[in-house]
Amino acid sequence: MRVLDSDTDGRVTACREDELGDGERLLLKVGRRRIGLFRVDGRFFALHGVCPHAGGALCEGPLTGTTRTADDFFGFEYEREGRVLRCAWHGWEFDVESGQSLADPGLRARSYPVRIDDGAVVIDLRPPRRTTT
Amino acid sequence: MIDCDVHNGWDSARVLLPYLDRSFRDYLDRGELPGGRDSFPHGHRAWLHPEGYMRYDTLPPSGGAPATDYAYMCEQLLDRYDLDYAILLGEEGMEVSTLANPYYASALARAHNDWVLDTWAPLDDRLRISITVAPQDPEGAAAEIRRVGGHPSVSQVVVTSGSQRPYGDPFFHPMWEAASEMRLPIAAHLGGQGGVNANPTGTGPPTFYWETHAMLCETGMGHLASVLAHGVFERYPHTRLVLVECGVAWLPAVLWRLDADYTALRKETPWLKRLPSEYAHEFVRVTTQPLERPRNPDALWTALDDIGGRDMLMFASDYPHWDFDDPFTTRFPAEWRDAVLDGNARALYRLPAARPREEAAGAGA
Ligand code: FES
Repeated sequence: MRVLDSDTDGRVTACREDELGDGERLLLKVGRRRIGLFRVDGRFFALHGVCPHAGGALCEGPLTGTTRTADDFFGFEYEREGRVLRCAWHGWEFDVESGQSLADPGLRARSYPVRIDDGAVVIDLRPPRRTTT
Repeated sequence: MIDCDVHNGWDSARVLLPYLDRSFRDYLDRGELPGGRDSFPHGHRAWLHPEGYMRYDTLPPSGGAPATDYAYMCEQLLDRYDLDYAILLGEEGMEVSTLANPYYASALARAHNDWVLDTWAPLDDRLRISITVAPQDPEGAAAEIRRVGGHPSVSQVVVTSGSQRPYGDPFFHPMWEAASEMRLPIAAHLGGQGGVNANPTGTGPPTFYWETHAMLCETGMGHLASVLAHGVFERYPHTRLVLVECGVAWLPAVLWRLDADYTALRKETPWLKRLPSEYAHEFVRVTTQPLERPRNPDALWTALDDIGGRDMLMFASDYPHWDFDDPFTTRFPAEWRDAVLDGNARALYRLPAARPREEAAGAGA
């Protein structure tokens, strides 16, 4: 667990880009907030560490794939290898990029935007901007 | 706060060797084992959890299996939630119920109890022990309850919810008689779905793990109806039935049905003096985990309130298993919290009265 502070803009520099290999993660504590940073196929994703189901350790479970039904209904096809995060408590599946629950369309883990700034991985913790029209 | 379902494990069932009767030690040492050298002899479930049934984050940093490291159990459970007591139920020990050989099953249960009383009980006064018995050997189970039931750390007897027949059957009465004599409840904990035990549901074997797990409440219903109908608590009034991990939402529906059918056919069971639901209210306790979560939470509490559920439910987390309930986030009605999180278990297990929090924090040893 890496303990960091965010800057006054609500951004936090988590690590260098080359510190994480594909499929690896970094668990962060920023103030009172827990965050999991994941590297998947060269891209970085950050999820809030507290599971939306029951407050469990969302980012400490396996990053894996899952099954979907094949065209003949009863078959199994493995998909999304390395893109499905299973919560460490009850094993609910979430898309590591969007935080969307795979089983419940109404459930989503909070995800934070991540950008690479001159080789540094920067997570944006600011609340999502409301679009005003 | 009292947690009524905590599992303590081992890295190898060979820890039992020094505790096991000499005649059976060779069985465990050199005999056939279903899962390799360190495994515990039992008929395994045919429903295998596709991810393993432990919370992923319970592996102790020191190595070893979940819930084998006392310090880590303190960090993740006892201290984190400031528990007053945790009722330990072991991990695989209760699965002795699946074995065909009742003598080997009872010998393993005895070894398990001596091991847990030797290694876990002295660690912490907050830990209370459930002694394992082999229900397929009712006389052996009774003898074991009398042998170790008086140990000051022992709070109850545990058997699996999987069984060869429902626990009210007169076949099991020696076990109830001994438990009543020793003033101990008998807990039927989810499990024992394998070996010589009956199918987990009455329709025959279900297929998937989640399907089966959700339907295992049926075993709880069967035992409840059986102990009530057979008048177990008329005959043995100093014991109680605790259903662990069998669900709670079905309880009102089943009790309503039992009351109605008993009222019509009372003559089948003339030894009963009260309605089934009245016996249940006094003699049956049910642990909450995994608590059903209706879309409208009131739907659950309204139904449970009708049968006096506030007096019957006891909080349990099931640490370190995958379907863990967190006492901080699991919702109970405000007026139920004291009873469900603490008072009901404290009364059932005759635990010392809670000290006021300030005093507890300020007091030394
Ligand atoms: S807390 Fe994450 S799946 Fe339940």
